[in-house]
Amino acid sequence: MTATTYQAGEIQGLIEIDASKCKGCDACKKFCPTQAIVGASGAAHSIVKDRCLSCGQCMINCPFGAIKETHSALDRVIRKLADKDTTVVGIIAPAVRVAIGEEFGLGTGELVTGKLYGAMNKAGFKIFDCNFAADLTIMEEGSEFIHRLHATVKGEEHAGALPQFTSCCPAWVRYLEGNFPSLLPHLSTAKSPQQMAGTVAKTYGAKVYDMEPEKIFTIAVMPCTAKKVEASRPEFNSAWHYNHEHGAHAAEYPDVDAVLTTREMAQLLKLLKIDLATTPAYDGDSLFAQYTGAGTIFGTTGGVMEAALRTAHKVLTDTEMAKLDLEPVRGLEGVKEADVTLFDKQLGQEVTVKVAVVHDMGNNIEPILRDVAAGTSPYHFIEVMNCAGGCVNGGGQPVQGTGSSWIGNIG
Amino acid sequence: MTKKTHLFAEDSFFLSRRKFMAVGAAFVAAMAIPVGWFANKLARRNDYIKARSAGLYQDDAIAKVRVSHRNPAIEKYYSDFGGEPLGHISHELLHTHFVDRTKLS
Ligand code: SF4
Ligand code: SF4
Ligand code: SF4
Repeated sequence: MTATTYQAGEIQGLIEIDASKCKGCDACKKFCPTQAIVGASGAAHSIVKDRCLSCGQCMINCPFGAIKETHSALDRVIRKLADKDTTVVGIIAPAVRVAIGEEFGLGTGELVTGKLYGAMNKAGFKIFDCNFAADLTIMEEGSEFIHRLHATVKGEEHAGALPQFTSCCPAWVRYLEGNFPSLLPHLSTAKSPQQMAGTVAKTYGAKVYDMEPEKIFTIAVMPCTAKKVEASRPEFNSAWHYNHEHGAHAAEYPDVDAVLTTREMAQLLKLLKIDLATTPAYDGDSLFAQYTGAGTIFGTTGGVMEAALRTAHKVLTDTEMAKLDLEPVRGLEGVKEADVTLFDKQLGQEVTVKVAVVHDMGNNIEPILRDVAAGTSPYHFIEVMNCAGGCVNGGGQPVQGTGSSWIGNIG
Repeated sequence: MTKKTHLFAEDSFFLSRRKFMAVGAAFVAAMAIPVGWFANKLARRNDYIKARSAGLYQDDAIAKVRVSHRNPAIEKYYSDFGGEPLGHISHELLHTHFVDRTKLS
């Protein structure tokens, strides 16, 4: 047994059960991917910190509102927004734009990108759409996949491991790091879109904004509680390293300074008396607000795979996919599969790429990992998201018909 | 609910802690989590997951560009600054390493 599963500096115990409110009803246990919640039925439960992924699924599903987050960056964000010497960059995740409207009386799933840009602009943010970084992730992760595929087909010695796993979901990454470390070579080394966005904002972004990197404060707005822990990982200070090597002397800073959940962003706007529902649409203030359809579907299960295949197809065959919608990886089945057969120009032969998409990780991932470990997995590329449905149902999203409200709804 | 059960719940001081917990658990199970609650809950959850996902697919459908490699801003990033995917700067800035968490101390 090791002393801890956390690196120095990482946020620990982000999700906690309030023993005075917990009724011991066991509902949370059914949603926890790692059996991190302990306690007898009827008695107050608690979370085993070292096993917890901070995904927040228990929290948004507790019928008694007994589970809470211990870290909020709201006060710091408010101070930074008020500081005229700081450029505050808001990094907006895909799934936020189809959920934050719910906090302002708009319909479930209503797409509010323009209004959200407008409201955040009013609050003092520069707009950095994380969808731009999702597109960047596809370029890097897709290239990596093609590299591994070609090296494997050619039988090269140091070909990267296949199947390749996606690495965008921090709860999934932490799960693999803690439970199946021998499979880590299968993870794409591409950073998650959140981390790419933070790094780019403080390197290339500093040039675009014409601002010293140390005066840029990056705030990611995420549907996810685990993203707070991800941002706190000590290795995520690449921008500081880069700037340091290029002559800067500022004290060390992280790539992403703070993370707000969708709920906390709504709270912030309400505190600032900005009504998202009535805010006029705004287009953004730089190239970082330009994104594609591929980038935006990252927020739902199957989206990363669909986006990656669109680009892989173009790179491998030199033609665009005839039909961009990839129906087999859409929908809520626990494990989805697809085969894409294409003529690979570089190899001069036909290849069939077999992919799988997994979400609701706790219920679906184990058999797949066992196959990969045994070397019998039929797949080349596997997308894994912790939350059922992907990030649209993340632990940082507005609580919908769950939490205390759903007790009243059962009749 | 019978009057007696009601009295038990109100008058918990006269019960041992263990017995009180047992009564509490039964109370909660009966009141809040009736048979079928889980299925009901999952159905509701899937409804809002589908609605939010539909919003994202709508965003994809209306997008001027639908493939990452044709995002003009991404092209600009690589030509102005980043070089090329998997290139030197990409390795430095856009990739990471992982941690074997069974071996931390
Ligand atoms: S769901 Fe909430 S009330 Fe029920 S056991 Fe878990 S924390 Fe306690
Ligand atoms: S946050 Fe996620 S991993 Fe942690 S106890 Fe809750 S459901 Fe389990
Ligand atoms: S699926 Fe999305 S919201 Fe859920 S833990 Fe992973 S990144 Fe966070």
